[in-house]
Amino acid sequence: MQHPRSYRLKFPEPAPAGPVDHLPGSSATPAVLRVRPASPPPKGPPPGPTGQAALKLEPRELWVAAHLPQLALLALRRPGDTRPLVAVDDQTQRIVDADAQARAAGVCAGMTLGAALATAPDIEPRARDALRERELMQRMAAIAAAFTPQVSIEPPDGLLLEIRPSITLFGGLRELCRRLRDACRADALLTQVGAAPHFTLAPTTLAALAAARAGARCFITDPAVLPARLKPLPLPVLRWPAEHNARLAAMGVHTLGELMRLPRAGFARRFGPELLADLDRLLGKRADPRARLTPRERYRGAFDLDHEIEDHERILQALAPMLAELERFLRVRQRGITALQCRFHHYRAAPTRCTLRLAAAEASAERFTRLLRERLATLQLPEPVRRCELRGGALRPLSLDSRSLWSPGEHGHASTGEMPSLVEHLRARLGPQALYGIRRVAEHRPERAWCVAEPAIDERAAARISSTPASTVSRPAWLLAAPQPLEAVRGRPRHQGRLELLRGPERIESGWWDCNDVQRDYYVAKNGAGALLWIYRECQGSRRWFLHGIFA
Amino acid sequence: MPATSDTQLQKLLAHPSVWRGRSRAVVETISTGFTALDAGLPGGGWPRHGLVEILTPQPGIGELYLLLPVLARLSCAAPGRWCTWVSPPHEPYAPALESHGVALDRMLVVRTGLPLWALEQALRSGACGMALAWLPRVSPRAIRRLQLAAEQGRALGVLFRSQQFAHLASPAMLRMALDPVKEPGRHGARVTLIKSRGGSRAPIDLTWTAAAA
Repeated sequence: MQHPRSYRLKFPEPAPAGPVDHLPGSSATPAVLRVRPASPPPKGPPPGPTGQAALKLEPRELWVAAHLPQLALLALRRPGDTRPLVAVDDQTQRIVDADAQARAAGVCAGMTLGAALATAPDIEPRARDALRERELMQRMAAIAAAFTPQVSIEPPDGLLLEIRPSITLFGGLRELCRRLRDACRADALLTQVGAAPHFTLAPTTLAALAAARAGARCFITDPAVLPARLKPLPLPVLRWPAEHNARLAAMGVHTLGELMRLPRAGFARRFGPELLADLDRLLGKRADPRARLTPRERYRGAFDLDHEIEDHERILQALAPMLAELERFLRVRQRGITALQCRFHHYRAAPTRCTLRLAAAEASAERFTRLLRERLATLQLPEPVRRCELRGGALRPLSLDSRSLWSPGEHGHASTGEMPSLVEHLRARLGPQALYGIRRVAEHRPERAWCVAEPAIDERAAARISSTPASTVSRPAWLLAAPQPLEAVRGRPRHQGRLELLRGPERIESGWWDCNDVQRDYYVAKNGAGALLWIYRECQGSRRWFLHGIFA
Repeated sequence: MPATSDTQLQKLLAHPSVWRGRSRAVVETISTGFTALDAGLPGGGWPRHGLVEILTPQPGIGELYLLLPVLARLSCAAPGRWCTWVSPPHEPYAPALESHGVALDRMLVVRTGLPLWALEQALRSGACGMALAWLPRVSPRAIRRLQLAAEQGRALGVLFRSQQFAHLASPAMLRMALDPVKEPGRHGARVTLIKSRGGSRAPIDLTWTAAAA
């Protein structure tokens, strides 16, 4: 077998990424592949040109492919660009894509950066931003997900939707396609970068993708006409490796029609069974299952500010579109979040983080804004903010309640529904530690007979625990955080004057097992001012007196 | 003609938001749990919403015992109402509250450097039936704000202050001084209404039945 390099002199090597502009009959004069829709699917398998294999097409499938031409450039374009833009691969230092201006100046994909700069010195080369490209495609996928659950991304710049089950719902195929196109046009992010996706419809994924990449008009519902309609498409739309394309070109195969005419056995021997399988998938002779894209189950958003800002109100304004998007994200899933993290990036300093914790799952942008306002008021920013990031926590089921007719507290209306919002509101400003509920613990040691608990704002959790029968021993309503030593005169304790012991002793002796041994004699005492105190005397050691509680 | 205007006037005067100095105000109330105090207070109990000031010569002379019955009643009602404690001087002791029938899962304690703000939020939100606060220093303006917040959120706000502020004017709807009873063998307190919309002028003696003795 001859080395493909020897053919390079004769035939121009197709670009590896297969930009549309290089293909014959692409952008300027699109090959028109147009078939009237809605002809019923054929009953028997139609004979294909290479049709030894039986047609295994699922006639139920209909794929829409969306192709974003020049995605690498779209991802790099910024508002206010005037110079010719080229996208450069960071590793190979070769041009990945060039815009119309740059192409007019003689730059084309596949050139080295040096050659391109020599050809057109005023171009603006930018390193390819794969992350941003993925972000754009994910945005497209998110839009598409409103039309069908079967959405998959064909990296880097293709999107596939299986729409057959959705046709009736959207009132016909044409209406569905129109709505899909309108939804993409209405999207702010896509419009901002100037993305103009090209849509095609075909019964197989590869056929739809191939036509979309070629920029051809394609609206095929009938698998029988597929081979005939695919014939004029150029070979590189299949995105096979460049060396195979070069070898095929050397063999005089330039279009899909010519490719389909090749004998199967020979083709498989020369190019491997994988490419033959691809060809079968293209014509629907082999199943082509696609993994469904599962949308991200956490919200993430970021926003680069035009200029640095410090003012809290302005930061909130900048966050507003993202919060609205977050609300949409949550509403379509009927979910809420209980945590929301904001990151503010600065020029030099490390990003400032601020996390909102919500008492109950919430999806309302207005609520987030209100809480963020409180939170930001206490937040110290080391430097002005350049970029804001929002990260939503795990999704939680959102409980939807109907609003009450009465305002809280009126006519015995249960006001407990407002409690989560009050707790969040206070916590947003005062910090999570500032609020707590209290709970009883079955313990003899007084300081351990209670503990701090999370406020029981969850109604279901607050199913009333039948209160234990009131204990017969009396306990003070106030407990001092730490027992306060009392001075004693001749063994008699004093606290704002002499203490008169009213009752006692009550011996509490417990806790030898956890090294917090307590051996105390408790008394109820009254001081000169008339306050009732709860004091104790140690049973061991120096037998000092302590004040532990107040019967207030 | 005079008869009609008289009935109209009577109707107008019966409106809860109209109060004349000589008469008792018509307010929605909840029993204090002390018969003597109920009799002395306008409307026969604590106001359901509004601000109450309790002035004590020193903390810890029984001010909580005065409120434990109403706390128990509110928190154990069919939809239990929440009670917020803002900056209490010590820890509210769970076993004691429980033995007085208070539902602990309706208690919320807030410790903060901004007690005034927290109290106003709690009163205004409508989530709490009651909010207790220990504030070292409050201006009459702030009390006015709190009074309005309590009316708006339909909550009972209780402010504990020192008796040294008794002579200062306050917009709270009810002000009372609480003095300990120093007689031996009796545990209780003496309540004097400093300001009320038609309450009793005479001091009211209370005995803590449920208390330590």
